[in-house]
Amino acid sequence: MSGVGGLRNVEAWRTRIPRYRFLGARCKSCGKLHYPPLKACPYCGSRDLEEAQLPRQGRLLAFTSVYSVEEGGREESPIFVGLIDLGVARVVAELTDVTDPSRLAAGIPVEAVFRRISEEDDEGVIVYGVKFRPVPGAGEGD
Amino acid sequence: MAAEGAGSRPESRAGIHGWGAYIPVYRIPTRVIAAEWGWPDHQWKALNVAEKAVAGPDEDSTTMGVEASLNAIRRARIEPSRIGAVFFGSESKVYAVKPSATIIAEAVGATPVTMASDLEFACRAASEGMKNSIALVSSGMLEYTLVVGSDTAQASPGDVLEFSAASGAVAFVVGPRDGAAAVFEASYTYVTDTPDFWRRAGKPYPSHGEGFTGEPAYFHHIMSAVKGLMEETGLKPGDFDYAVFHQPNGKFPVRVAQKLGFTIEQVKQGLVTPLIGNTYNASALLGLARVLDVARPGERILVAPFGSGAGSDAYSIVVTDAIEERRGLAPPVDYYINSKVVIDYGLYVKFRGKVVKRRI
Amino acid sequence: MPVSVKSVGLTRIDRHYNKGVYDLAVEAVDDALKDSGAEPSYLVASTSASLLLEPQLDLASYLASHLGLRGSRALAVEAGEASGLAAILAGYRLAISTGERVLVVGVDKLSDLPSASVHAALKHVFYRYGDALYKVGHAAVAGLLASLYMDRFGVDRETMSYWPAMMHSHAKENPYAMLRFAVKPEKVATAMPVASPLTLLDMFPLGDGAAAVLLDPQGGGLAEIASVESSTGPASIAFSEDPLWLDAVEESWRRALSTAGVNGVEVLEIHDSYTIMGLLILETLRLAERGKAAELVAEGAFTVGGSGPLVNASGGLKARGHPVGATGVYMAAEVAMQLADVFPGVKADDAKTGAAVSINGHGSSAYTAIFRST
Repeated sequence: MSGVGGLRNVEAWRTRIPRYRFLGARCKSCGKLHYPPLKACPYCGSRDLEEAQLPRQGRLLAFTSVYSVEEGGREESPIFVGLIDLGVARVVAELTDVTDPSRLAAGIPVEAVFRRISEEDDEGVIVYGVKFRPVPGAGEGD
Repeated sequence: MAAEGAGSRPESRAGIHGWGAYIPVYRIPTRVIAAEWGWPDHQWKALNVAEKAVAGPDEDSTTMGVEASLNAIRRARIEPSRIGAVFFGSESKVYAVKPSATIIAEAVGATPVTMASDLEFACRAASEGMKNSIALVSSGMLEYTLVVGSDTAQASPGDVLEFSAASGAVAFVVGPRDGAAAVFEASYTYVTDTPDFWRRAGKPYPSHGEGFTGEPAYFHHIMSAVKGLMEETGLKPGDFDYAVFHQPNGKFPVRVAQKLGFTIEQVKQGLVTPLIGNTYNASALLGLARVLDVARPGERILVAPFGSGAGSDAYSIVVTDAIEERRGLAPPVDYYINSKVVIDYGLYVKFRGKVVKRRI
Repeated sequence: MPVSVKSVGLTRIDRHYNKGVYDLAVEAVDDALKDSGAEPSYLVASTSASLLLEPQLDLASYLASHLGLRGSRALAVEAGEASGLAAILAGYRLAISTGERVLVVGVDKLSDLPSASVHAALKHVFYRYGDALYKVGHAAVAGLLASLYMDRFGVDRETMSYWPAMMHSHAKENPYAMLRFAVKPEKVATAMPVASPLTLLDMFPLGDGAAAVLLDPQGGGLAEIASVESSTGPASIAFSEDPLWLDAVEESWRRALSTAGVNGVEVLEIHDSYTIMGLLILETLRLAERGKAAELVAEGAFTVGGSGPLVNASGGLKARGHPVGATGVYMAAEVAMQLADVFPGVKADDAKTGAAVSINGHGSSAYTAIFRST
């Protein structure tokens, strides 16, 4: 079961660029952006897509604290997850730097940060990518 | 304020185009660590470190390095693909074998036509990257380089090192003199084989020579480098507006400044360790970043990082007019210093993976 | 001649520590075939979580060996949490096109491994490089949807708690259900948190089970299949203009009603992996106004004597259980038994039409099967 939950070395490598740089795709047909990039626009189905940088600032639409975490997640539980509105797109992402869940609320500003996402075990590769955190000094932290 | 003998040195053909900081939000007060291990108050008060920055469970030297680099590149306002070298200085690299510099280079968009390497020289590795960058840029070999100092400093629980070993990162985009926010004037490096502080391969925590880390190591090397720089350039302490030294605690940089003839006024702005602890490879360079956050065109800065093992580099840097338009392009060091959440010892132990699952 | 559900076989969903997938599947199939005589020509197997937990590829052939069905035509279907009803769709189309009997068997086993391993496997019902990238397990997206729902419609936690209470009151009467005990609504909010605002009492139990249905193109048996339809939905709730409206459910339901030529049904089994999914499906099927499903549930609209159809008389995924790959087959069997008036639990009163609605995850796909009495 080791590693069943996270990306393995080669696929993590293959998919690193969008994850490292928070690059999504813009549909040349309907103009909408999405992340992570699929092979077709999730809104209109067009295959005519181009790479697009997503904004690193957004607002929290909804959040949850997950206690029923998977293997390898227990030492970080509860794990917070948010649905984030970036204006031009929405993303589901892990929320980090949450010390006081009572300060999480729909509408608070959040920002993208580069973090560890998972690792196979302490001998495997580390998967990095973007998570979101409440913008320090804007309602969370003091 | 022009210094004699400085203008024609190769250093003057390179400068700092962007600087960026990153400090995790978590802080543990030194007082809390002392109470956990039963130290009397004077033990921690003597270090002049109020609290230290602690990386979150999903942070490491690489992630902090990426954040600082993104800030530095925002200030430099350059296409990341123009960066020709990424130097990552850290003594808390997540891989013993495999560069962290490539992860940072990839994340900021400097790949693939770039050099990238992790440097090791205790707390001075990033400074060596700075000096390499000056050489590569001033020779014309490269246009821009990215220098990153980042550490999640390790300290064995209960060791006095635990009071100060902190987490933080700093990054600089080094490039040609034209358009730089500050230009290098001169540099001087002083290195000997002095085992004051070390960590053997495969060991989680460093060992140190206690008092041996002071006079023969920290003080001797920094003073030798700074004196060497002043002798070569003819500059005197009074020629500098700011002086920044490596900061293992809040007290050493002040003492070394006094020994060299600098005033507390010159040192104050560059002191970050009293506020967030010793960030190792980011320590003195984060002090430099904090000076650049406020320095005015024409002001001269002395920076002297130190690394155990042991060595020190002294740099003379002069601020240019371009600094004003760069400052606001990324958060200042103080934004990160002030954005904080205080945690207790239990959370600190959990975050830094120090929970030992002991067999009964 | 319409394809009918000739016979069904179910195992009680439980932590069957002493039984593996083959033991459970054979038990369900024996139960289904005990009165029906002729052997099926096709075996369609459905399994999902076990593919990751206790891996076995080409499960259908090995199951055929265990069943003594040598030389049979066997294949497996996988569609995440909707696998069971996807297998019914495949079996139904096979029965129509070949005129042969098709045995559909769903089986899955979640109790052998620690729950953290099960959550690690089950999170893969979500997109691997998207919502499933993080160490979030299976419940996170349901937590987000519940949080959005409460915010948007001003529904309080206590009102939502009537869903699990109703599921438990139904499951109590169902001998095949895993959780055969009552739960008071006021206990739900304070149970162990799973993904806030959802608790363990909002979530399906991790159990094992197998269900089999024999599809016969010659008609007869428990019920006729009027239609089986499906639709895919968005790859993430992030790609949905309104994540609280399940596009795939709406479309599969519309297609199924249209093919069957009916406007609605009297008895319904729907996918309620978490309380919120049950409520969202009720609203997407237009059995409740937006934001009003929980209130209607609390008023007893979907139980015996209520104003709506009888929903999840089995106890639903919440209390009957959700052995992932088997769930849709359970649903089909339960609806068929209701229409034949032989369901051994809470019964619909003289129902002539029924439906099963199954989805994967947040609705990346949805399946609807409509049945009518023979």
